[in-house]
Amino acid sequence: MSTPATERFPGFRIMNVLRSRAFLTVAIVAAVWVIAGLLKPGFGAYGHLRYLLELAAVIGIVAIGQTLVVIAGGIDLSVGAIVTVSAVGVPLASFAGDTSGIGAIAIVLAAATGIGFLNGLGVAFLRVHPMIMTLAMATFLQGVLILIAGGTAISAGSPVLSWLGNARPIGIPAGVVLWIFAAAAALLLMHTTPFGARVYALGANPLAAALSGINTRATTIAVYAICGFFAGLAGVLVLGMNGQGYVGIGDPYLLASIAAVVLGGTSILGGSGTYAGTIPGAVLLVTITALITVVNASPGWRSILFGSLILVLLLFSGREAARR
Amino acid sequence: MTSVPIVAARGVSKSFFGNRVLSDVSIALAPGRIHALLGENGAGKSTLINLLSGALVPDSGSIEVDGRSVRSLTPSEARRAGIAVVQQELGLTSDLSVAENIGLGAYPRRFGLIDYRRLARRAREVCDLVGLHEDLSTPVAGLPLGRRQLVEIAKALFREPRVLILDEPTSSLSAHEADTLTRLLRRLRDAGTAVLYISHRLNEVMRLCDHVTVLKDGALTADRSLEGVDASGLVRLMVGRDPGDLFPRWTPSDARETVVTVTGFSAGVLRDIDLEIRRGEILGIGGLVGQGQEELLLGLYGALPGKARKAAFNGVAGLPGSVMRANALGLAYVPADRKREGLHLTHTIAWNMMVPSFGRARALSFRRRADERALATALADRLDIKGDLTRQVQALSGGNQQKVALAKWMPSDPPILLLNDPTRGVDVETKREIYVLLRSFAAEGRAVVLSSSDTPELVHLCDRVAVMREGRIVSTLAHGEATEEAIVAAAMAAEPARAAA
Repeated sequence: MSTPATERFPGFRIMNVLRSRAFLTVAIVAAVWVIAGLLKPGFGAYGHLRYLLELAAVIGIVAIGQTLVVIAGGIDLSVGAIVTVSAVGVPLASFAGDTSGIGAIAIVLAAATGIGFLNGLGVAFLRVHPMIMTLAMATFLQGVLILIAGGTAISAGSPVLSWLGNARPIGIPAGVVLWIFAAAAALLLMHTTPFGARVYALGANPLAAALSGINTRATTIAVYAICGFFAGLAGVLVLGMNGQGYVGIGDPYLLASIAAVVLGGTSILGGSGTYAGTIPGAVLLVTITALITVVNASPGWRSILFGSLILVLLLFSGREAARR
Repeated sequence: MTSVPIVAARGVSKSFFGNRVLSDVSIALAPGRIHALLGENGAGKSTLINLLSGALVPDSGSIEVDGRSVRSLTPSEARRAGIAVVQQELGLTSDLSVAENIGLGAYPRRFGLIDYRRLARRAREVCDLVGLHEDLSTPVAGLPLGRRQLVEIAKALFREPRVLILDEPTSSLSAHEADTLTRLLRRLRDAGTAVLYISHRLNEVMRLCDHVTVLKDGALTADRSLEGVDASGLVRLMVGRDPGDLFPRWTPSDARETVVTVTGFSAGVLRDIDLEIRRGEILGIGGLVGQGQEELLLGLYGALPGKARKAAFNGVAGLPGSVMRANALGLAYVPADRKREGLHLTHTIAWNMMVPSFGRARALSFRRRADERALATALADRLDIKGDLTRQVQALSGGNQQKVALAKWMPSDPPILLLNDPTRGVDVETKREIYVLLRSFAAEGRAVVLSSSDTPELVHLCDRVAVMREGRIVSTLAHGEATEEAIVAAAMAAEPARAAA
């Protein structure tokens, strides 16, 4: 008395894609671009849109790790500090003989991953709440950075960094190219590997995951380590685009990464969501910022406007659906 | 005494999610009488109390207060009518003091503020009644469980109730404390209070109570005076009823090699457990609720740290120590609370069936969607789960959810299955399917350990039944000698012979 396979797994339906949160966010971005392009000459120019994507790349890369952590049921408040560590750390880590600058970057990425690993240890073994653990880590890193770098900006110049900051292979900024590869890796990891499935299981019901034989501690640690790695990578990109690193350079990316995750439809409660939503989420964020900059307002009003717009967008699209 | 009952239920029924837990039950609590309410786990006692105290509203039938029918009794109306309940799960606020807990919700006030002096005086009075001599400003968190139970009773008395409902009040009391309580209840009875007394200790009930109501599977099986009834008669009234043909015919299987042995196993509340689990049989774990059955399963499953003098699982010495290790040794566990512990409700049926495989597979390999679909379809066919497997699990009925929780272990083909109350909240039809499935597991040579709060399951399905009480296995009965009477008697520490005396 077998049921036909088509009844077990109904085929691909276009409506499901159209109804998905990721698609909704893409639609909002497109609408904003079209309207702004019509109202404000120059907004829709290729050069301007390319610039927006370049800005979104940094947020998008930070948000890879944040998406994973949030899906796993946690949150990482140390990503801003890790971006700064990386942007300040690459010049400091450069050594003689490393002409390309790859060596320094590798060292810093390893360090960033290590910081995430420590976050994971704290959450998984010491059972510290992720918010407390990562906030403490951020504060700790801030202190170290002030001791090392103080108030000075540290310049960096290496072939790899200047490529990241200035190159445009086939007309696409190098930062966006980096983002495309990172995003592809993230999507593969989340949706095609058992590890990705474990992250969802952990976030949706940690107890059931543990009783099903999933190594919840190892998964937690891995997720925070990956988050540290991508925050470090974003720091390298920021340094390349900026030419110099200074204390506080990563601060804006903390809230931006969380906002991009939530705008993209990932549940802040964990267990569901996808990086495919975070990508348009990041683009939407920089678009809003750009629109506000166009409006001639004082910085105070811009902040107020930005915060209100995010709230409105979330009310419109990101209301946590009633679960269970 | 033929006075009007203070509170009564007339033909009440109540269902939860389509499961009928009470059907057409009547009970009358008369002043000056201690009324016993008996029944097995899940017979509907707690639901009946909740109806009488206004915490739940009956689906049909009515609640009467002082002879007047009340459409839907609310908790505050019940309080005003003088109905007080001492719950089984302690409902105290552990950071507040004894006096504050006792007065909570009924603080004496002066100028809109709490009148602490009057509170202390009146709290002292009720504490003296129950024999609680602690300092009233002690936080409740600092008291041992038995004393907390007394605070709970004092809290009920503080409201000077006309009806006092006690849900297993003596389960955590010492003999001395229980004696004080007995004297107190007699005094209250003589003063005209109606007392409803729920206990699994039959001797207490025989000694203390005047009248008894017995529930069995949500239906009334007795409502009579206790005069002329003996303890064995009570046990028969609670167990009652033929099980019908709900269970598959029990046939012993040939394979009987031992796959798990533990000696002197202690974990959590477990004390010194000796257990042998054999292939080809269903080993039942029985007892009253919360006597360590769940801890035993979790301990065997490596989810609860424990120690054993000697242990061997599938030929490997030592306890598993972790769930992953237990899985590798061939154990699988199906939890009782499937929504909280067994399933990922917001994910699809097919995905839930794959979760243990996700834990087992190499973390960074590619999932094979086609294989996953084929496997999920095969599992759904085997367990007769109908329809679209891309639905969220939370959309399924309790019975089908339980099937998914079972199905997800099938791919790893575990030789040892630990099942915690797998038929709780499951409809009769699915129950039957699960029973057939469990027997077929045993016939395939697997070892099945079935903890159950449903005694007939233990009697008709299991090859052996281990009965637990207070963290120990107090009795192991073979199929045939494990009758419902024997299991209930062992669970309540009443030898059938002594109970009859």
